[in-house]
Amino acid sequence: MTGLSNWDWDTKEKLLADINEWKEKFVNIRELIPSDDGEKIAAVVLTEDKRFTTCINGEVWEETFDRVWSLKFNPDNQLLCFVYRNFEWNFVVEHEISEEAFDYLWNLTLTPDGKGIAFNIKVGEEYGAYINGKRWENLFVDARDLAVSPDGKKTASRVQTKRKGAVDIFAFWEKIWTIAVDGNLWDNTFLAVWGVLFSSDSAHVATAVRTEQAQYTIAVDGKAWEGKFGLVWDPIFKPGSSDVIAPVRTPKGWTMAMNGKPIWGNFYQVLHQKYSPDGQKIAAVVAPQFPKWTIAVDGTPWNIIFNEAALAPVFSPDSKKVAAVVKDNNRWTIAVDGSPWMEKFDNIWDPIFTPDSDKVVAKAERNGRYFLVIDGKVGKQEFEHLWTPVFSPDGGKLLIRCIDKGKYYRRVVAIDEI
Amino acid sequence: MAEVKAVEKEVKIEEVLEPSLDKELRIKRKKVVDPGFDETIKRLTPEKIEKTINAVLNLRKTAARFLAPLETCIHCALCSDACQYYISHDKDPTYSPASKLRLTLWEMIRRKGKVSPEFIKQCARIAFTECNICHRCSMYCPFGLDITYQIGMVRRILFLLGVVPHNILDQDNSQSATLTQLWISQADWIDTIQWLEDETRLEYKNLRLPIEKEGAEVMWAPLGTEPKIATYHVVRTAIIMNVAGIDWTVPSRDGWDSVNMAMFIRDFETMQRVVLGLYENCLRLKVKRLVLTE
Ligand code: SF4
Ligand code: SF4
Repeated sequence: MTGLSNWDWDTKEKLLADINEWKEKFVNIRELIPSDDGEKIAAVVLTEDKRFTTCINGEVWEETFDRVWSLKFNPDNQLLCFVYRNFEWNFVVEHEISEEAFDYLWNLTLTPDGKGIAFNIKVGEEYGAYINGKRWENLFVDARDLAVSPDGKKTASRVQTKRKGAVDIFAFWEKIWTIAVDGNLWDNTFLAVWGVLFSSDSAHVATAVRTEQAQYTIAVDGKAWEGKFGLVWDPIFKPGSSDVIAPVRTPKGWTMAMNGKPIWGNFYQVLHQKYSPDGQKIAAVVAPQFPKWTIAVDGTPWNIIFNEAALAPVFSPDSKKVAAVVKDNNRWTIAVDGSPWMEKFDNIWDPIFTPDSDKVVAKAERNGRYFLVIDGKVGKQEFEHLWTPVFSPDGGKLLIRCIDKGKYYRRVVAIDEI
Repeated sequence: MAEVKAVEKEVKIEEVLEPSLDKELRIKRKKVVDPGFDETIKRLTPEKIEKTINAVLNLRKTAARFLAPLETCIHCALCSDACQYYISHDKDPTYSPASKLRLTLWEMIRRKGKVSPEFIKQCARIAFTECNICHRCSMYCPFGLDITYQIGMVRRILFLLGVVPHNILDQDNSQSATLTQLWISQADWIDTIQWLEDETRLEYKNLRLPIEKEGAEVMWAPLGTEPKIATYHVVRTAIIMNVAGIDWTVPSRDGWDSVNMAMFIRDFETMQRVVLGLYENCLRLKVKRLVLTE
């Protein structure tokens, strides 16, 4: 795997592709996808013969297909995608087409180390998943969503265990939904399950479950919490532990629960909880008034509220700060520890902390132009398009992947030059 | 509670709701046959019914909310003229909005939840087949009594008891399990969008049905029936978007189906999950507007 420190942090600018030229060459170009290190840019393109292929840094793959989708670079800069021709789907790693074929492929996911790939599969009328060269032995009536374990070895999906007849409400009440881990069903089934994920040691799986007409809780490894709730949202594991937290609705309001017991006060809504990297703090989106939003850290809301939205909080690497995208009066910005930036935008992407946790950078959009914002200060340069920037390991530089006058550039800029 | 007693004298509800007496009494109805009514009531016990009704009405705590309309209604019938069921049944008073409450919720309150499965079935017939929650009656009432809200609470009780027209309940079940109206797999949804593009792009030059296009202006959320049955709707929407030059997309993840059957049967939890699913996709894809089929 090519680590951040091996990337080229010295060359200030590389012009890697003239997208204007691509436009002349191809009938149509789909969304551009850059590699993490910015050295490559790819897109699905439609050729003169009305077939699809991929183009990487201007080089076209000679193979063509009826469809190509789900482009993604792995950390070794190999291009992954799904391709369809002769009525079957294959996956592709750097122009190498899989021998195995499927009836459909989706949810292409890299393992956390970037070396393995996993995705959901459809074979005949059955569904399952595939990871590191192996498909599940058991397939199901339906399989939805894909969670890959942190060790990159396991997959889990929520699955329908039995086929039910059309409009059969009684079969549904038999509880025919559960989680399959590597194709093995949990012992318990539920009315519905959603929000599947692994613990940090890859040993446990948690999900939200519906247990009765209007009764919900969290299940871990198939076992439902004893505490039941009016509704719950997706659970997460505490890092390095099998403890699970999830927003739950009690008769008093929404709160955060750990292992089935409320641990916070009550709000009109609680969503999108996150653990700090050290596992000591929890932040979440909360509604202290109806319908107004802010971030709460360990149950204490920020003093400021936003009248339209607060998105999932982001902790600084040192676990001391929390930042989040917020929306007030139809304008987006970022708030850090309860202080919103003065500048407002038409759109803003998730905050990114410098490795030393000192500064926050985000990609923002105003009037259809993109730029970087650092600690609330708008960067000098505007772009036609911009991807999420990446900090150098020492935090002194930013990798900028952008389109400028129809050309794709990889630029490295010192933080104080933005 | 003086009003309640007065009402009690006027109509003996047991008789009115007893189907064998339909012919003699004022309520004349065609038989409604639906496994969601006929079969589901067989699973009910009086205890379960009582517990469910009392949990929803929570009469000890929120009595005023339910009792006030009951005690305030003067049976003036002004709401009747708002109701299409009343008007289209020759102004039969048993179809009047206040009568629908009189025969369902107010009777549940009067009997403190002690009602039979058969009574529940009659409530289901009234709340699901003789009222479409249009809200007009609530606008007409001089006291501002929100009849529709109360009929909605009858539906809530019926949903909790599982006594719901089976077609609607199956769609609600589907939304609960899949966030789609018609048990549409994730693969089939994306595949459908892709083959519709295959079919159309040769006829309409370069027509695209963009999936997961982050930063598009608009996210379109169709009804589940469109990709499942009425695929020409999807194509037409795509053509309109393309001709109008709108930068649009559809998500690949669950939370693309804008049908909210859960709302109609007062499955508030699934209703919230459907709406949250749409918002989550909009926020994830960074679109500025959500466009729904209606
Ligand atoms: S809400 Fe129901 S009772 Fe009221 S007017 Fe509409 S259909 Fe009639
Ligand atoms: S208009 Fe209001 S007061 Fe009159 S009958 Fe209807 S609900 Fe009762």
